[in-house]
Amino acid sequence: MRPSNIFYLYRVRLRSRLVQELLALTGIAVGVALVFAALVANTSLTGSMRELTEGIVGQASLQVASRGPEGFDQQLLREVRKVDGIAQAAPVLEVRGNVVGPNGRRSVLVVAGDPTFARLGGTFLPDFNDPRLGRQRALALPAPMAASLGLSLGQPVRLEVDTRVGHTPLGARLQEEDIGDLVDHPVVLAPLEPAQMVTQMEGRVTRIFVKADPGEEAAVETALRRIAPEGVDVKSADADITAFEQAAYPTNQSTALFSMFSALVGFLFAFSAVLLTVPQRRRLVADLRMAGHDAGASVALLLLDALVLGAVGALLGVALGDQLSRHLFESTPGYLSSAFAIGSQRIVTWQSLAIAIGAGVLASCLAVLVPMRDILARRPPRRTSRKAASRSGHRVAGAGCVCLAGTTLIVAFAPGAALLGIVLLTLGLLLLLPLLLKGAVRVFEVMIAPVRSVSPTLAKIELQSRESQTRTFALSATGAIAVFATVAIGGAHADLERGLDASARDIDGNADIWITFQGQANTLATTPFGDAAQLFEALRDVPGVRSARPYRGSFLDLGDHRVWVIAPPKGSERLVPASQIKAGDPVLAASRIGTGGWVTLSESIADELEAGPGDRIELPSPRPKAFRVAAVTTNLGWPPGAIVLNADDYAAAWDTTQLSALHVDVVPGVSSAKVAKAIGRVLGPRTPMLVETARQRTERHYALTRDGLSRLTQISALVLIAAALAMVATMGGMIWQRRPILAALKVHGYSQRELWSALVIESALLLGTACLAGAAFGLYGQVLLSRALETITGFPVFYATAGLTATLVLAVITAVAVAMIAVPGWLAARVRAAPSAAQ
Amino acid sequence: MLDLKRLVKHYPSGEETVRALDGVSLSVAEGETVALYGPSGSGKTTLLSIVAALLSPDSGQVMVNGKDVRRLSVRQAARYRRLDIGYVSQHPHLLPGVSAIDNAALKLFAGRLTVREAHREVAPLLDRLGLGGRLSHRAEQLSAGERQRVLIARALSTSPPLLLADEPTGSLDTRRSRDVLEMLTEVCAERQAAMMLVTHDPQAAAFADRIHALVDGRLVDYEPETPLLQPNGL
Repeated sequence: MRPSNIFYLYRVRLRSRLVQELLALTGIAVGVALVFAALVANTSLTGSMRELTEGIVGQASLQVASRGPEGFDQQLLREVRKVDGIAQAAPVLEVRGNVVGPNGRRSVLVVAGDPTFARLGGTFLPDFNDPRLGRQRALALPAPMAASLGLSLGQPVRLEVDTRVGHTPLGARLQEEDIGDLVDHPVVLAPLEPAQMVTQMEGRVTRIFVKADPGEEAAVETALRRIAPEGVDVKSADADITAFEQAAYPTNQSTALFSMFSALVGFLFAFSAVLLTVPQRRRLVADLRMAGHDAGASVALLLLDALVLGAVGALLGVALGDQLSRHLFESTPGYLSSAFAIGSQRIVTWQSLAIAIGAGVLASCLAVLVPMRDILARRPPRRTSRKAASRSGHRVAGAGCVCLAGTTLIVAFAPGAALLGIVLLTLGLLLLLPLLLKGAVRVFEVMIAPVRSVSPTLAKIELQSRESQTRTFALSATGAIAVFATVAIGGAHADLERGLDASARDIDGNADIWITFQGQANTLATTPFGDAAQLFEALRDVPGVRSARPYRGSFLDLGDHRVWVIAPPKGSERLVPASQIKAGDPVLAASRIGTGGWVTLSESIADELEAGPGDRIELPSPRPKAFRVAAVTTNLGWPPGAIVLNADDYAAAWDTTQLSALHVDVVPGVSSAKVAKAIGRVLGPRTPMLVETARQRTERHYALTRDGLSRLTQISALVLIAAALAMVATMGGMIWQRRPILAALKVHGYSQRELWSALVIESALLLGTACLAGAAFGLYGQVLLSRALETITGFPVFYATAGLTATLVLAVITAVAVAMIAVPGWLAARVRAAPSAAQ
Repeated sequence: MLDLKRLVKHYPSGEETVRALDGVSLSVAEGETVALYGPSGSGKTTLLSIVAALLSPDSGQVMVNGKDVRRLSVRQAARYRRLDIGYVSQHPHLLPGVSAIDNAALKLFAGRLTVREAHREVAPLLDRLGLGGRLSHRAEQLSAGERQRVLIARALSTSPPLLLADEPTGSLDTRRSRDVLEMLTEVCAERQAAMMLVTHDPQAAAFADRIHALVDGRLVDYEPETPLLQPNGL
């Protein structure tokens, strides 16, 4: 057949199935949108970090980096430059702080360098060659940030680095044409010397980036290690990317898991909708065959149907997904911004586009090509016997049971293979669903035996009809998968939240009031400040303050892990978060931490160091020190893991007197809130310090951890809404197509009400059974996911069966879907009696 | 034109075997109309399906215009159905939402003709069948008789030398049945096309030059009193 004739036939046939095509289009678009949005969100997270790192390090391959925020003596640069094989070595001072303008305050990473920095060739670096910047002793801010803070060129910028506050003029507003996508990063560029003065870190830097001569990397690395003093590491220039990927792993994994469910629901939606047009396509294939067209023509026509549907659906989905990723998934998980400077730009890779569009086209091809077996068959297809159908049903159910057994084995013995477990469980649900539906109809048949009404019988006959089996399955699978995904991930999410909340309560409950450096990036109290004497002085005059003790904390790079270090003051009530202990005695561990020389390690760190309770480890802190392991804990909500030691041990191991929070306890009987307010008044409105009660801090901590999981909640809700709409749309379409049969039944005396009741009962039974199966499997999925979260990522997980969630999801989705289906059902049942229509 | 020799086709049905065709031999000459008269389930449609290369016989020979239909490959069978035969089925199913002229031109779309050329080819035929004013009407807007005529136009659109008509008036009333059959025989006569007409209606069979009866898969000479109902009521 000429291609033009194929296109012509496609076009003229389209109008007869426009509604069904639109339904299928919606299904594909929804699935593609969810997959694309999740992919863009994930790629943007890591891509954003990669761009920032590459923008700074340029062609440097190695770095000499300080383990702590205090940095090291700049004199080391001279030694480094003497090493043979080094092409460039550029000193950098990196400090976390806040920039304050007329319109507000932003947490930023201050990157300060000298003109040699520009020779590394990073995107960010040419501005360090700008003599004006150095001469003016000015800062450069990305233009969008400067605009949002209300800062104009030449205007003094308030820069807060812990308790130290400096004012420096804004020397440059960096545009996209200067620094590309980095324009969206929370970064401030500054010349080295003025930055050292503002931060009171004169003569100190935090890193030296090194560009080695070609082929000299290994020799240079060895030489650098030789000259690196204590507390200074030599590592890859882009080591931050690896650390970030490690920290973002749970977020990316969970989003990927949801993407899989989204894709499945979208596919089933499209599949159900396309199945409505399968009889027409079968008819077309038969007509083409009779008219002497060869199999190639039929395949070409069906493929064109599929490709147009898939391509248009995928493009719509990409447009929709783009909007979702901009408006819903845009925010960077807050917990990551406390350790990494991540931008807000969206990174769309060709791989994300290809995967999303490919998934859409594949879904439509699979669904549209159902009549393919008619084409491939040399003879017209014959009905399979009831016996053969039953045998095949048993085989399918048997395969489902095997999948279920496989999942059980994974839960019991290999929770690390959770993704495989989820795939098996999903497959098990889909394979067992026909049997479950059959069983439900059987039970229903027994229940309605004594009932006189004809409607339940009509519903039962339709559900038992072999003609509608594929369509019934596709519809029920949509509901079952959506409820399964929501219950499983919702339940695991709740388990995780309970664990994280307990961890936050344990850590934040150590003091009545916390005084920390302001800024979103300091929610975990990891930014140190030096000038605490003034604070202690101020607190002395505040009524209700019983004591104030130093808390210390920061991040420490331990291999690929950027570990959270928590160092509460010695006398704290909850030195060790008791609810988070996985190995070791909580009371003994707390007492040992209080004594000093002991630490607790998160399980992943303990595994990496091959250490358990009682073992001795060497902590690679700025001043490396030996500790013994008091207990093994969860990751305390920080994916790469955490270390707990007392504040004095921290001071010794980090060789610092700085603190990162003040723990204030109030006089018994006095309100913490009132004392906190009083402290705030004493510190004044322009203080860079944040005063909050333990309760307020716990709330903020909860919000931070919830923020990390917010994408799950959003996708979960979207999947559920998409599935409900899918079921309503396809069931409605199916009911609407049944009007000729309803018209014929009316000739036999059935009333509109009876027919409508039959349709509603049929929908309720079908969707109710599917959603019930989905909920039951979802509860099993929750066990699997919670176990996986606990063992793979080391998150604190407090398991509790999500029975209430499951019941609610099940009831709401079934009730909403049936209520919505009742409308097209009522309209379809209004069809006029017509015997000829039945023919 | 058509030569059938000792055609046998049996179907298994549970424990039993249905003898749809049991040694059927028959010849149809060019321009001749032969009616196959028989009750439901007597094997008429099976016979037509074998001639149309949609089914293979268990044994026997089918020769159409010198071609051995049993030896045709899938591709050759498709070409044979398009050019050598026309098939009019009992149920006037058309492609839904598609106009009468496009439905009639479906066979022509398979060749090298453009849509416009195919329309030019089939329009006079539709006009000849009384559908000149309904060319752009969609399938749903046509009556059962009109749809049947569109199917006849489709079957004849490639001027095949043999027309196979399976109960072509099965869903029409008496007056429309007569109109359709008159048209079919007239057009076949004009084109010197042979026609095998399958029917269980004696009045329809009367339009043929020759009538054979098919009873229990066997061809017998037609007698007006040939019983169509079997003792068991089928």
